[in-house]
Amino acid sequence: MDNWIDLARGPLFRISLAICLLGLLYRFGFTSWQIMEAHRKAGDKRIPHQAVARATLQWLLPWKLMKIRPLLSVASILFHAGILAVPLFYVGHVSLWAGTLPGWWPRLGSGPSDVLTWMAIIGIVGVLFWRLLVKSSRDLTRAGDVGILLLLLALAASGYWAAHPASSPMAPRAMLLVHMMAGNLALILTPLTKIVHCILAPLTHLLGEVGWHFPAASGRDVAVALAKENEPV
Amino acid sequence: MAIATSYYLEELDERELPQRFLDAFAAILAHSNYTLVLDAASRMKAHCGRCAETCPVYQETAEKRDIPCERSELLLQVYRRYFTLGGSLKARVGAGFVLDEAYINRMAEEYYRCTACRRCKLECPLGIDHGLITHLARWVLAEVGLTPKALVVSVREQLEGKSGNTSGIPAPAMQDTCEFLEEDCADEHGLKIEFPIDVPNAEYIFFPAVSDYLLEPDTLMGNAAVLKATGGSWTIGTKNFDGINYGLFYSDRLLDRIVSNEVGELERLNAKKILVGECGHASRSAKAFVPTFCGGEDAPEVVNIMEYTHEQWKAGKVKFKPDVIKQKVTYHDPCNLARSGWVTEQPRELLKHICCDYVEMTPNRQDNYCCGGGGGTVSIDEIREFRTMIGGKAKADQIRATGAEIVVAPCANCKKQVAEVCQDHGLDVRICGLHDLLLEAIDAPDFMKVPKDDEDGDAPTAEEN
Repeated sequence: MDNWIDLARGPLFRISLAICLLGLLYRFGFTSWQIMEAHRKAGDKRIPHQAVARATLQWLLPWKLMKIRPLLSVASILFHAGILAVPLFYVGHVSLWAGTLPGWWPRLGSGPSDVLTWMAIIGIVGVLFWRLLVKSSRDLTRAGDVGILLLLLALAASGYWAAHPASSPMAPRAMLLVHMMAGNLALILTPLTKIVHCILAPLTHLLGEVGWHFPAASGRDVAVALAKENEPV
Repeated sequence: MAIATSYYLEELDERELPQRFLDAFAAILAHSNYTLVLDAASRMKAHCGRCAETCPVYQETAEKRDIPCERSELLLQVYRRYFTLGGSLKARVGAGFVLDEAYINRMAEEYYRCTACRRCKLECPLGIDHGLITHLARWVLAEVGLTPKALVVSVREQLEGKSGNTSGIPAPAMQDTCEFLEEDCADEHGLKIEFPIDVPNAEYIFFPAVSDYLLEPDTLMGNAAVLKATGGSWTIGTKNFDGINYGLFYSDRLLDRIVSNEVGELERLNAKKILVGECGHASRSAKAFVPTFCGGEDAPEVVNIMEYTHEQWKAGKVKFKPDVIKQKVTYHDPCNLARSGWVTEQPRELLKHICCDYVEMTPNRQDNYCCGGGGGTVSIDEIREFRTMIGGKAKADQIRATGAEIVVAPCANCKKQVAEVCQDHGLDVRICGLHDLLLEAIDAPDFMKVPKDDEDGDAPTAEEN
């Protein structure tokens, strides 16, 4: 078991983290380049930056979420707060990086981390129920949507039990391994699935706006490409 | 299989339809900026369903196909399969979807169940613009001949017909109408107005929805009265006097040609700015796409007539009598004017000034509900039941809740649609434009007043002036 844990905590973690960071970096860089290219080609380059910034901030901060479906929104906020804060700031996680992270890096003690973990668990369960109970969400839900939520639920729950071995339903070392493997899988999936929105969210409203800024010759170029330049309407 | 849609199509060449669809899609992606949007949407779509809560069509039908996110998925699936590495690899191992006629038929149907009102974008945490994806899908469909006949026929007449406008009004008939309106305004309202035709070097060239010349005389008289009172320098061109642009609803190629023709008329008469009448899509298509297709920052400025009137009123150049309109009045925000926050407060300030009893619909402004006829669907008569009983249900409920006797809908398409919605939902209300009411409330300067002796129809014409 200890060998497996060493593998999960060592090489597998480093590979997963590298995939995650490089993948996110690539996605952010590539999307930024796409936006710049689209803007360069646009016939009208004027972008309403204030409106875009306002729209972006409205969603990066949680209050607009509450306007509709408030229960789902509360669940979503709890889930996001927990799932972001604990992996990054829980003192047990930070200690793995001793000497690498700067001294000012925030550290969450066990108490606050437990609260955040439970918030994430309750939030994920709430979102899962919502997906099952509300028709429009149920209609839209794909297997991958449920799969990602279940993975994150496993990650949060196994993390709690790994930190509280006395309440663990499995052998504590086995639970720790489950937690590490779930974490590694989540890292790998982050740039490859819709979780990528964690890095692209600040760009989405900008790219939506730039999308409406067509190249000046787009219509004529398409007509030429389709040999329709002299074709009647 | 034969393509069958709920709207009429022109004769359709169904040979190799999937391949032609993919060729058109590829050409559009190669020469536009849509890849950016499709790439982001296909990676990040959360399937959260918030958009369903905002869509008036889904709220009425509760059908999965009417969820904006689900509708966008139709095109995104084609994009992922045929235009991404992952889709190609998946296809090589035999898994994945294949585009066929039935799927194209589904897209042709479902992308015209969307009114392109873009209300869903406001509630998407990830900012996915389903309206833009619908816009693109309709363009690809158009390139293989899948566009409602009603839209194609109108655009053909506008771009290639003798009249050069969507209503088929010859220029002499338009001029006769203007002369008649000048006389009618003198008779009915005691006001001298003018419709300057082909006057060079004017500040504004005026493009109303051309259907106003046939259907909305009070709106046009109101426009002309404000322009007269303010001493506005304006003209109507005889070569192009139609602000309607159905290219916005189904083809960027045609959108480009129509706005370029507007600018061509402006250049012919050496006017400086484009003034668009009371019409949402005509205003937005010019405001957003004249700069896109006609010179960027150097393109002529585009002004909506409500912006103009409000600005002149604030500057004291035109006066309106307060509280002249005694009935209960409400205001419908055309999506193409309000969704971006462009024109929302100006008409409200004017209405609150001239009306004794002004009430708001809820929700309103950027959050407004579409009339149900957006995205060109208002012109498709064969889907009227869908437009009024499903797409327009939320609007009917809003109007009923206000108890208003007059609905101001400053858009040619919205006026037609709201009138039909009210008719089909048993609502007895008057539908009119903003300038129809301003015409009743204008505190005309003396130079506009017809002497009592002239009110029997002998008002001077534009030429005599």
